Amino acid sequence: MGRLKQKGKAGAAKAYMTRSAAVKKLQCSLADFRRLCILKGIFPREPRNRKKANKGSSAPTNFYYAKDIAYLAHEPVLRKLREHKAFAKKLARALGRGEWSSAKSLEDNKPVYRLDHIIKERYPTFVDAVRDIDDALCMIFLFASLPSDSKVSPSLIENCARLAAEWQLYVMHTHSLRKVFLSIKGVYYQAEVFDQTVTWLVPYQFTQTIPSDVDVRVMLTFLELYQTLLGFVFFKLYTDAGLVYPPPLDVQKDEGAAGVGAFNLQEAKVNRPTATAAKTKVVEVDGKRISSKDVRQTIKSISASGSGDGDVEMPAVDAQAANEDDEEFVEDTTEDPEDDASAAPAFTTATLPTLKTLSTLPQSTSSKLFAPYTFWLSRETSRPIFEFIVRSFGGRIGWPATSGSGSPFDENDESITHVIIDRPLVQRPNETEAEKERRRRRKYVQPQWVVDCVNAGKILLEDLYAQGKTLPPHLSPFGDHAEAYDPTAGLVGADEEDEDEEMEQEDAEASDEESATRPAKSVLKAAASAEDDAALHAAELAAEAAGIDYGTFEKEAKKAQKKAKKTEGAEEEDAERDMNKMMMSNKQRKLYERMKHGQKKRAEEKQNLEQKKRAIEKEKKRRTKAS
Amino acid sequence: MAAAETKKLSKKRKAAQEEEETPAPPPSAFPQEVGLEMGSEDEGEEGEDVSDDGEVDEFPEIDARSDTEDEAEDGDEEDDESEEDVDEEEEEDLDEDDDSDASEESLHVWPKPKTVVSDITGQPKRVYPEIEPEYDSDSSTEDTPNRVGNIPMHWYDDLPHVGYDINGKKVLRPARGDELDKFLKTVEDPESWTSAFDKNLQMDKPLTAEELDIIRRLQEGENPDANYDPYEPTVEWFTGKGKEEVMPLSAAPEPKRRWVPSKWEKQKVMKIVRAIRQGRILPNKPKTANNQPQFYAIWNDEAPTGPAPPPAPKPRLPGHAESYNPPEEYLPTPEERAKWEATDPEDREREHLPQKYSALRLVPAYDNFIKERFNRQLDLYLAPRVQRVKLQIDPESLIPKLPSPSSLRPFPVYRSLQVPHADVRVRAISVSPDGQWVVSGDESGVVRLWEVIVGKEVKRWTFKSKVGAIEWCPRTDVSFFAVAVEDHIHFVIPPNIPGPVLTATQNVLAPATLPPPPANPSPVKWSSVPASQSSSDSPILTLSLPSSPEPPKQLVWHRKGDYLASVSEGQGGVWIHQVSRRHSQAPFKKVKGTVQLVLFHPTKPHFFVATQRYVRMYNLAEQTLLKTLTPGIRWISSMDVHPSGDHLIVGGYDRKLCWFDLELSDKPYKILRYHSRALRSVHFHPTYPLFASSSDDGSIQIFHARVYNDLMTNPLIVPLKILRGHTVREGLGVFSVRWVPRQPWLVSAGADGQVSVWCS
Repeated sequence: MGRLKQKGKAGAAKAYMTRSAAVKKLQCSLADFRRLCILKGIFPREPRNRKKANKGSSAPTNFYYAKDIAYLAHEPVLRKLREHKAFAKKLARALGRGEWSSAKSLEDNKPVYRLDHIIKERYPTFVDAVRDIDDALCMIFLFASLPSDSKVSPSLIENCARLAAEWQLYVMHTHSLRKVFLSIKGVYYQAEVFDQTVTWLVPYQFTQTIPSDVDVRVMLTFLELYQTLLGFVFFKLYTDAGLVYPPPLDVQKDEGAAGVGAFNLQEAKVNRPTATAAKTKVVEVDGKRISSKDVRQTIKSISASGSGDGDVEMPAVDAQAANEDDEEFVEDTTEDPEDDASAAPAFTTATLPTLKTLSTLPQSTSSKLFAPYTFWLSRETSRPIFEFIVRSFGGRIGWPATSGSGSPFDENDESITHVIIDRPLVQRPNETEAEKERRRRRKYVQPQWVVDCVNAGKILLEDLYAQGKTLPPHLSPFGDHAEAYDPTAGLVGADEEDEDEEMEQEDAEASDEESATRPAKSVLKAAASAEDDAALHAAELAAEAAGIDYGTFEKEAKKAQKKAKKTEGAEEEDAERDMNKMMMSNKQRKLYERMKHGQKKRAEEKQNLEQKKRAIEKEKKRRTKAS
Repeated sequence: MAAAETKKLSKKRKAAQEEEETPAPPPSAFPQEVGLEMGSEDEGEEGEDVSDDGEVDEFPEIDARSDTEDEAEDGDEEDDESEEDVDEEEEEDLDEDDDSDASEESLHVWPKPKTVVSDITGQPKRVYPEIEPEYDSDSSTEDTPNRVGNIPMHWYDDLPHVGYDINGKKVLRPARGDELDKFLKTVEDPESWTSAFDKNLQMDKPLTAEELDIIRRLQEGENPDANYDPYEPTVEWFTGKGKEEVMPLSAAPEPKRRWVPSKWEKQKVMKIVRAIRQGRILPNKPKTANNQPQFYAIWNDEAPTGPAPPPAPKPRLPGHAESYNPPEEYLPTPEERAKWEATDPEDREREHLPQKYSALRLVPAYDNFIKERFNRQLDLYLAPRVQRVKLQIDPESLIPKLPSPSSLRPFPVYRSLQVPHADVRVRAISVSPDGQWVVSGDESGVVRLWEVIVGKEVKRWTFKSKVGAIEWCPRTDVSFFAVAVEDHIHFVIPPNIPGPVLTATQNVLAPATLPPPPANPSPVKWSSVPASQSSSDSPILTLSLPSSPEPPKQLVWHRKGDYLASVSEGQGGVWIHQVSRRHSQAPFKKVKGTVQLVLFHPTKPHFFVATQRYVRMYNLAEQTLLKTLTPGIRWISSMDVHPSGDHLIVGGYDRKLCWFDLELSDKPYKILRYHSRALRSVHFHPTYPLFASSSDDGSIQIFHARVYNDLMTNPLIVPLKILRGHTVREGLGVFSVRWVPRQPWLVSAGADGQVSVWCS
């Protein structure tokens, strides 16, 4: 016989820990524990069985993995927090005694923790980090738009604004923006960075106030982590794109509210030239020295991939050339890994570029969507939003001085093709000829046009979005779930609706002779329900009596019978299924019912929307008829 | 405590005095200046305290001279601190000296004598004046008339006197005026404001000049002792010129370290100095000056092995409804809006209502923005996370795939005929073993015999009260049935049966020669009508059971038709009757629980007894309990055993039907719940693989139940058909269902007084 098992010594009781137990074990305050959890990304778990995890008690508590807590116990940040506690006491004492000099020296040597190791722990690879920056970006953009107060320091907000601008610069530079959605909460952007979709939400430009029921300390702790995370991510992104990080800020431009334009993207001069120039030099200048290596490499690559290599590389080079034409910055992320790949052993080059070119091909067409156009922003449109969108898709954009300095051209520029304007149409009686001419040449569109073009991946007709027109609905590029109502595919339902309407009209017409048709109908019904010949015969007689000729009766009877049979068959099947449900186990039945409930709810929602749409269409039709 | 305090204070005072002394020119000359000096020092407050307290402190010392107790205290002090005490005593001596000096000048202790010539002797003599005992004289000589001592004076409150004088005479209470007198006294008597009430004499006494002086000093916060000098000159006993210690206390030579600078200290300092010179240490460099985090390529080195922590779940992406300009059908109707506003914020399905703006410039700020972001963060760090596998299956695939009912024909699908029973509940029906006849008995006592195929009534019997149960005898060579009414079980022979069968039946029920009576007679009486007089109108044989309020609720025949079991209400309600021996016996002396049903096993000598919660299986031959089945039903209403004898179904009032595999377990193999009300009856078809259950919801459910011979295959149960047709009356539906033996037909009896035949 083995040893007796003791209760609470193994299993869930050991694997889980309540929060208060964790705080006790770590010997820190609850606030410090929260801070640690936020920074280290430790969250409560739901045990399979709460009673087993809580030593038989069913009191409502949160559970953490005991291993997570053990992992927190030797965290350098925790040590720093403890040191900070001691420091706070010392400082308070020094201040209380009026020992200013010692207080100052204490303050100078205040313990400060760094989060670098936590970033590395939480995101072991760069892709992990990029996958998780959605929330970080949302927070950064939110705090960049907040007013500073006693809790939120101006330097923090400044830093957030800087990070937000750096991200936008990067996205614009690499043309990695994919989707934009103007929602009532703000603007959703979706970019594709390192094959990860990154979605973030930017509030509209209004002053936000922090509500009283929001704990700012929690948000600030998160922000602390996010700032560090984004710093490292941007560093990597910028250096991979061959740019200097952090981009230097032009203070004068910044004071002129140039926004994103206040930062100068600088090429990193040390690395890139060596990478690009090395190749050419190898071939041209001192071929002798490198030749043996080079020859070996080429032989390897040829043996591995044969002629396919050349085919693959040619379009890539073309794309590169095309990029270089209309870009101020020479390097692009799309070509960057390619260079690395060509430097890498040949068997990888054979596969990598193909994948790359495949993935970049459709993007490159739409990511330069606005390249041929030049936009002018009217004063009432939001500059940060549209500057970002247009520049991300390769367009040029200018704005009046009231929207901030740094516009590359002024309103009279001849190259302007589109004016983004968001105000109602007004008559201009005293317009000069030149102005009229200019007005004719430019296209005046509402802001939604830009966003819809981006989401459609092509330039849409401007007429629908012209100034003063009622806009078509703005749909989410992210879409709803699979079975959801699709507002674009409403035509089929409308046709049915028309038929129904016609039927109704017919009914209305026939209402006066209803008395005559009713018995006929009942007769037909009888024919449908007749099961055997005798009943059919009886129905036939009745039809004759009602004055329906035999041909029509037969046709109708057959149709009705078929219909009845069909419904009967369906009903039978339903009944059979219902009976089979009896044999389900309880668990299965509950699962089934839950799934059915969800399906039904979704279907109802869809139906509701369809019904509303039908009503709206009908109303529209009525109105057009009336007018 | 007080003593300790005074001690401390005096010590302090001494320290202060010593401090004074060291720089000191004669202190008595400049007492004020010294005081000022003390104030200027950092412990100024305490210095002042010292002076004040010193006065307070010194006060009791005056008394100490006359009081022995205080001297004892002084002795204590001596024990504590010998060094101090020396000083103190010296000081006291000094005090005394001072005192004596002062008294010599001011007070005349010894009055001057007068020299007079004696009348008697004629010699001059010195005559001292009469001693007037005053305040400052010794207390022992003071003339206080009242000698009661320090006692509570209220002891004398209701007495005319206030105490006794030295001679033991009563000291009478002095007259005290009323309030007016008091007032007049304060007005008239100039001394009244310097007089105080003497408790001992119970009258006002004027205060002496000394007392008034003490009061004045106390008021001004001075030492009450007039002779106390806070600034006494220090007396140098051991220090000062010519008083140094000549002999050293230790003969050890003075160590070198007293005058040589430390080498190690120098080395340490030099180390730091060198480090500073070389720039290794930057003195006064603030360590936390640049808070700016430094970024570097953190992901360039090797990624650690092992999986990354799972990423946080991403929030849902916005749908069309969240657009600033959604399609019109997404806008809520007024009803939807009202409903949304009426629900609590945490119960809402979406946190905002869709809104439509005609232009982007009209879109306002979203006021829940920060709140939503905050909630997201709370979710990230406070919400417990569980990894769930999302089921991507069609819910229809959960429904078990069973053979189609149409492939399992025949089974009853429609009602072929109805036999009405005059609007009375029909509780009991039975089908004859040849499958041609049905007897049905209702609650008014009417028993009807009719044909299954056409429903024609052949014969009707009327009993006195309601029929509890009816059962045909399963034997085919004889033909009769048993009817349970009141306390009797009647055996009735149906009419129109062939002659040989009739005689055989008569022989069985009323033999010409009765079998010998059993050894131990039972309370059940067997009385039969002789065969010659018997007719089909009345029962040929009647059993009288012990009386009970209800008729027996169940009759069960053994398959051979010789034994009949009956179940009545109450303890000991189970009887087994043997027709051939005309003998009845109660198999159980006592049964736990109330017996609901009994059943004979179709092949073995086993007997099932169902109480409300359990089904027990007994071996009648060995008289042992074989098994107790626990269906978990509350309560059992019906039970039937499969013709093979290996399976048992049990129906219950809690709508459940349990299928037991008797070979397998005491727990049900399958529990089905499909009726919406209590089950009333279950029955296996004797030949077809069918069983039926009836319920209070008025429906009958037909199942296909195939049982396999090999033990590995589970029985196949397929629901086939729900037969509806009986109406529910007073919450009661179909009481009983019976299969017609050789046909897939079903006979059912309901609370609506209808007996129906269901055909395939």
